[in-house]
Amino acid sequence: MRKNLRRLAVFGLTAAMGAALLTGCGEKSGGGGSSDGGSKDGKVELTMAVWDSDQEPVMNEMAAAYTKEHPNVTVKTQLTTWNEYWTKLEASAMGNSSADIITMNVLHVEEYADAGILMDLTEAEKESDLKASENFPAPLLNGYTVEGKLYGIPKDFDTNAIFYNKEIFDNAKVDYPKDGMTFEEFRKLCEELDAAGLPEGVYPVPVNRNSGQTTYDATIYANDGYILNEDNTEVGWDDPKTIAGIQPWLDLVLDGLSPSLEQMANTDPDSMFQGGQAAMYLSGNYMIPSYNKTLEGKYGIVSRPTFNGKNTDIINGLAFSVSAFTEHPEEAVDFALWLGSKEAQTIQAEAGVVISARNDCQDIYVGTHPDLNLQVFLDNVENAELLPHCKVTSELAQVEKTYLEQAWMGELTLEEACKKIKPEADAILDKMNSK
Amino acid sequence: MGEEKKMAKPVKKRASTRQKKDWAAGYVFIAPVTIGLVIFYVYPFIQNFWFSFNDVNKFNVATFVGLANFKQLFQEPDLLLALKNTLIYAVVTVPIGLGLSLLVAALLNAKIKGTSFYRTIYFLPSVTMSVAVALVWKLIFHSEHGIFNAVIEALGGSGKSWLTTPSTALGCVMIVAIWGSVGYNMIILLAGMQGISKSYYEAAAIDGAGPATIFFKITIPLLSPTIFFVIITGMIGAFQVFDSIYMMIDPMTNPAFNEVKTMNVLFYQNAFMYGYKGYAAAISIFMFAIIMIITVIQMIGQKKWVNYD
Repeated sequence: MRKNLRRLAVFGLTAAMGAALLTGCGEKSGGGGSSDGGSKDGKVELTMAVWDSDQEPVMNEMAAAYTKEHPNVTVKTQLTTWNEYWTKLEASAMGNSSADIITMNVLHVEEYADAGILMDLTEAEKESDLKASENFPAPLLNGYTVEGKLYGIPKDFDTNAIFYNKEIFDNAKVDYPKDGMTFEEFRKLCEELDAAGLPEGVYPVPVNRNSGQTTYDATIYANDGYILNEDNTEVGWDDPKTIAGIQPWLDLVLDGLSPSLEQMANTDPDSMFQGGQAAMYLSGNYMIPSYNKTLEGKYGIVSRPTFNGKNTDIINGLAFSVSAFTEHPEEAVDFALWLGSKEAQTIQAEAGVVISARNDCQDIYVGTHPDLNLQVFLDNVENAELLPHCKVTSELAQVEKTYLEQAWMGELTLEEACKKIKPEADAILDKMNSK
Repeated sequence: MGEEKKMAKPVKKRASTRQKKDWAAGYVFIAPVTIGLVIFYVYPFIQNFWFSFNDVNKFNVATFVGLANFKQLFQEPDLLLALKNTLIYAVVTVPIGLGLSLLVAALLNAKIKGTSFYRTIYFLPSVTMSVAVALVWKLIFHSEHGIFNAVIEALGGSGKSWLTTPSTALGCVMIVAIWGSVGYNMIILLAGMQGISKSYYEAAAIDGAGPATIFFKITIPLLSPTIFFVIITGMIGAFQVFDSIYMMIDPMTNPAFNEVKTMNVLFYQNAFMYGYKGYAAAISIFMFAIIMIITVIQMIGQKKWVNYD
């Protein structure tokens, strides 16, 4: 009996290993998909790489609508989770196994365009009736234009706002935040909450060191400071105006109105807000589906605090790009352009997950969550700056992390930290520019 | 080793048809693993070696640059820190892990009830996904909701944020590594212990040796080949530590990340966070050389203490 059991175990293990090997190989050869779209009978199958599972259904819906108009073209979505999306794309980008349509973001478009992975869509856009410059917000189009050439059709965008937990405000008997508060009023509100005595472990507002996009990036711009100069040769961290744009946020941390950096490293601030440990949190509209999982109906949205009299915000957005290695360039480009059409972006907007980039489709989003004031996100667009980015963003981010964290923990003053960032960050930019 | 030599002799003679058939069968049996090794280890290794002499961008486009990557490596500001962390990690986790595994194996080798139950329990960490293990331990060390702090506070101490404090973060990771390695090593050591002939123990007992003397004078020397194996594989594994650190110490939000960087984390950072794949390849080749040297030293050193009789 015992011997048989052992034999069985060995057999089972071998079978499992064999199966793993086989499926491992299978995935590799099957993952591409674009190579076998055989067009002999006029049928073309395009693949579209996406990372957001919340959006996959609506992407499929858009694809189906396109196929209805173009019966010879079918589009298959290829979902890869965010954590592996770019790694996988990097590995497959230069080969013909890459997807035909690539969901692109602002942080990556420049290096992908430079490496010749993305198709130049400038001419195709001009010949089409898309009229991109009229129909899309300028910062987004600029974000996907590299050296004068267009490499992506804007898909959606996000801007930021204050999310607040109604229950915490009700219990503390503090009035809800209002639209258009100044930063001073915002801080006063935090102090009021603190004075009202929040329950243990609950804070007025987590100020996430790791998310300049929702907090200090915008106030730096509002204060006429800068993070990266126009031609990406120098950072602006040591500019006194930049420092003054960050300081009020940092003060919230140092004065205990925000959880400490260590607490936010143990539990990330998004989870804190979701778990009812934060009265307010600055976040983008893309977080709404996540927040709704635990807080639906229990939170509200108001516009970001103004700074230096300005309501500057940061805009970021995705686009549809076409792989330069696609075997069906004509169909892929046509599909990408169609994805920018009113028809496609209406389908996307109605799903209520993201704000469609197209100007005449943005309003649809506002109606998708009637209990939330989503108009705030649209109002921000005209005062929004594009998320600062260059080809070495992730490397710069580590330098910023090293020193800003020390400021967040009170080990360095903000000025000292920013002055230390400057030479190291500039050296990284020099290296980038010398290549 | 000796046995292999003896078996190799008849092969030199002309092979009969029958022997050839046997070989064919043998090749068929080793084929799945060999093919897997060639595809997933040998080929990538050769490519990696080649990449270390190239400037390789994110998209695997290589331009030959000679030794530039290695030159850069020796000017790397984090190199000494990463080497130091890796060394501390190896020097602490391997001996402590070995000691504990020996202890557990010796206890489980005794005739007590429920040994297979305990064996299963101790082996569980080895069959658990490392990501899951890291996440659970992250919760244990959590500054506010962690059991670790709760216990310390119950005992009258004061808790702290263990994983974000540079001086304690690496220690936490090492505790997890030791905890995770005991089960696997224990199984190997136990197998070794069960291969020791009972007659030695009987003779020792008749001569009046106590349990400690028996353990140190009989078990350990006769177990030395197995112990050597555990140390070698443990060292190689320790020098390659990555996943537990990466999972427990987040690169973007944890302030301790830079302080606990090991060589493989440095590799990952350059290869996959920054996209300098050629430079990262050079780091990995450098690590390969270090691990090889350490293993060779151990191979030479073993002659002094490993007993194969």
